[in-house]
Amino acid sequence: MTSMNSDVLIIGGGIQGCATAYNLARQGVSVTVLEKDWVSRHASGVNAGGVRLLGRDVAEVELSKASMALWHRLDDELDADTGFRARSLINIAADTQDLDTLRNRQSLMHGLGYHHEVMIDQQELRERLPHVAPHCVGGVVSETDGYAIPYQSTLAFRRAAERSGAQFIEGVAAQQIRKVGQHWLVETDKGRYEAEHLVNCSGAWADKVAVKIGDNVPLTHSAPMLMITTRMPHFATPVVGAVSRPLSFKQFENGTVLIGGGAKGFADRDNNRTRLDYAKMAVGARNVVEFFPIMKTASVNRMWAGLEAYMPDNLPVIGKSVNADNAYHAFGFSAHGFQMGPIVGQVMAELIIDGKSRFDLNKLRIDRFERKVL
Amino acid sequence: MNIYSPSDDSPNEFNPGSSYDIAIIGAGPAGMSAAITAADAGATVVVLDDKPQPGGQIYRKVTSSPLTQPEALGEDYLKGAKLVEAFQNCNAEHLHGASVWHVGDNGEVLFSRDGGTQSLTARELIISGGAMERPFPIPGWHLPGVMSAGSAQVMLKSDGLVRDNAVFVGTGPLLYLIVAQYLRLGVPVKALIDTTPKSAYIDSMKEISGTLSAPKMVSKGLLLLNEIRKAGVPVYRFAKDLEITGESAATGLKFTSGHEGRQIEADHIFLHQGVIPNLNLTRALGLEHDWCEQQLCWKPKLNRWGQSSVPTISVAGDGSGIVGADGAALMGKLVALNQLQRHHQISAEERDQQARPLFRELEKLNKFRRFIDRLYRPIDAHRIPDAPDTVVCRCEERTVADLQRGFELGASGPQDLKGMTRCGMGPCQGRQCGHTVSELLAQWRDTTVDQVGYYRLRSPMRLLNLTELGQFSRVEPAQQSNTGAKS
Repeated sequence: MTSMNSDVLIIGGGIQGCATAYNLARQGVSVTVLEKDWVSRHASGVNAGGVRLLGRDVAEVELSKASMALWHRLDDELDADTGFRARSLINIAADTQDLDTLRNRQSLMHGLGYHHEVMIDQQELRERLPHVAPHCVGGVVSETDGYAIPYQSTLAFRRAAERSGAQFIEGVAAQQIRKVGQHWLVETDKGRYEAEHLVNCSGAWADKVAVKIGDNVPLTHSAPMLMITTRMPHFATPVVGAVSRPLSFKQFENGTVLIGGGAKGFADRDNNRTRLDYAKMAVGARNVVEFFPIMKTASVNRMWAGLEAYMPDNLPVIGKSVNADNAYHAFGFSAHGFQMGPIVGQVMAELIIDGKSRFDLNKLRIDRFERKVL
Repeated sequence: MNIYSPSDDSPNEFNPGSSYDIAIIGAGPAGMSAAITAADAGATVVVLDDKPQPGGQIYRKVTSSPLTQPEALGEDYLKGAKLVEAFQNCNAEHLHGASVWHVGDNGEVLFSRDGGTQSLTARELIISGGAMERPFPIPGWHLPGVMSAGSAQVMLKSDGLVRDNAVFVGTGPLLYLIVAQYLRLGVPVKALIDTTPKSAYIDSMKEISGTLSAPKMVSKGLLLLNEIRKAGVPVYRFAKDLEITGESAATGLKFTSGHEGRQIEADHIFLHQGVIPNLNLTRALGLEHDWCEQQLCWKPKLNRWGQSSVPTISVAGDGSGIVGADGAALMGKLVALNQLQRHHQISAEERDQQARPLFRELEKLNKFRRFIDRLYRPIDAHRIPDAPDTVVCRCEERTVADLQRGFELGASGPQDLKGMTRCGMGPCQGRQCGHTVSELLAQWRDTTVDQVGYYRLRSPMRLLNLTELGQFSRVEPAQQSNTGAKS
């Protein structure tokens, strides 16, 4: 049986895989992406679309900042409509304890030389969000933040990658992965694929792929839930979150309101399925109404969940394999990877083409949880 | 029925509590018959229906009609009173005004009632959600002033509301029935535009043998047509090339009949070309479905007892494929008998013995149905729109041309097309466009509708108020089942 050859084989057609393919292909590298379902089928297609720099862990602030700069010119670069809108993101402080939390965060960030998160008082909060409940005392804003349409954004990377010659093979699952000489050989139910470099962007399934490459990783998966309302009169321009409550929503230009907040349903990864936890959805619904009484009359049109990968520290794995040459990982984004897609694509291309990245990826190593067994 | 609200500090803990033996969604002929059969055998049964009274669409308000002369609605309507009364007298709990928005394959049922969300669980579920009218995507069908003939009948049955000088367009017994009902009530009808093609009369003759056992039912349609003609209503037959005129509202209808182009002015146009199963519930449940070429619709895949691909969930009535009110009542009994047997409340022998005459009766009706389906088969041009400007998705206002663009950009299935164009993303969850999209894609891809598939649907099955969702409580049976084994 002959196999398909390319320089780089990427497993996983989500936004990380598509952005990696794009950045490699435009530099003349031959790339094949293997996707077990179809491009953008899981977390990359059904997430909340938040493009957020606010509140990032310090380990990923540099990456997130660089990615944000890319988002602001992404439509031009990809010659596509990602639906990106810079609307700012405000995290609301519901009480004085929240304000203390924000002050601590502020001194941490200022100490590191970051000034993109700006605290706002109650009056400014009301100016920016006139419909916020009166008990909210202030908040923090990041001006560059906003949202994009996940499915369109992932597809935009795919199309741009294809224009530079990248191949996307859908409905093909990697079964065996092994090294033959200097090459990676991936066997699937529909043929063999060979490449010098192998990239693992398999999201909620990435631990299975990592093991086949030779790296163990404590990845878990879950099903963050979302709901969207029918069109409502315009009442919120910024994307809204809360400092200490599970609240998150954004109103799109067509008036629909997407409500998230991190509540998780049940993930059945073997069957590509999720089940919703409606009692938790009810808590989310109460939170939104409590913070924004105008939402009392909102009508929920759809609810859904996606299969997402989580690391124990909620930080992604980005970097080289520790146990195999010419293998790379980008996964485990723990429900905030969508915004990172554009920069992750560049980082992976740097690692493959130059052998190193301009970013410090030490805290995102795949083996960061390994320790001696006593 | 006992209702309690879980404490606010532990809203995430789902307490299974005690379950019903059988929960039935929909109190039409199928649901009512199933409930009577199951409750009479001693099962704890709950029936949920969003209307204030039982009866479904067909027997809506049959025991409390707002009309002074309900007999104008016909014998087939009035006879429902008997079933409704039997249902009201049986031991099943009836949750009226309960609008179901989620059914899980784990037996969980969530519904809105009294301004809050309530939940219950049942060992077995019967989905008897009935039918909806087939979309009629012709140019201008989205304009104000255009309604389905079925909604005209709903207005009539539930509120006694009518529209003077309307034009009725399409094919099928329900269309003739509503026109006849209007005329009996003295409401002027401007015209009946019949789209049944000449060829359908010839094709349906192949199935005529199936109707010999039910000659009365065949003549029923002809009698209605005669009644309409005698009343002096202009009837245009073999109509095609339909186009509703008007910019911001309907002003009339263009069509050809007998090779002659015609135009009729009208502010109210009622369309109808048959009914199809209401899929939102069975699809959101993830049940397997097949495309039915005879009825040109998706149907849940069921065994002869109405059991779906999830064994604890059965489907009865028009939601399983169009069977009519009498067929639905028969199916309801069969499905209930099977579930009673599954729970050892009756033996397999008892079930089979009681089922035998029901199956025989159902087979007779099915033969008749094949004839009806042939005769009133909507033509391709009225199901698969061709003109680029014709609206397919009314919620998001997506036209044939919009979908064609999405298809050309690589969306080959309904789900991709939804992601790309928002077609099917609106409040109706694809009820209005789902069949059209499946058939359009099959045509463009030159493949079967089965290959193309349908939207992937999710709960809620209907719009859900955010405040209602926030108020969560649970319903349990008022009494435990008094016979049978517990599973």
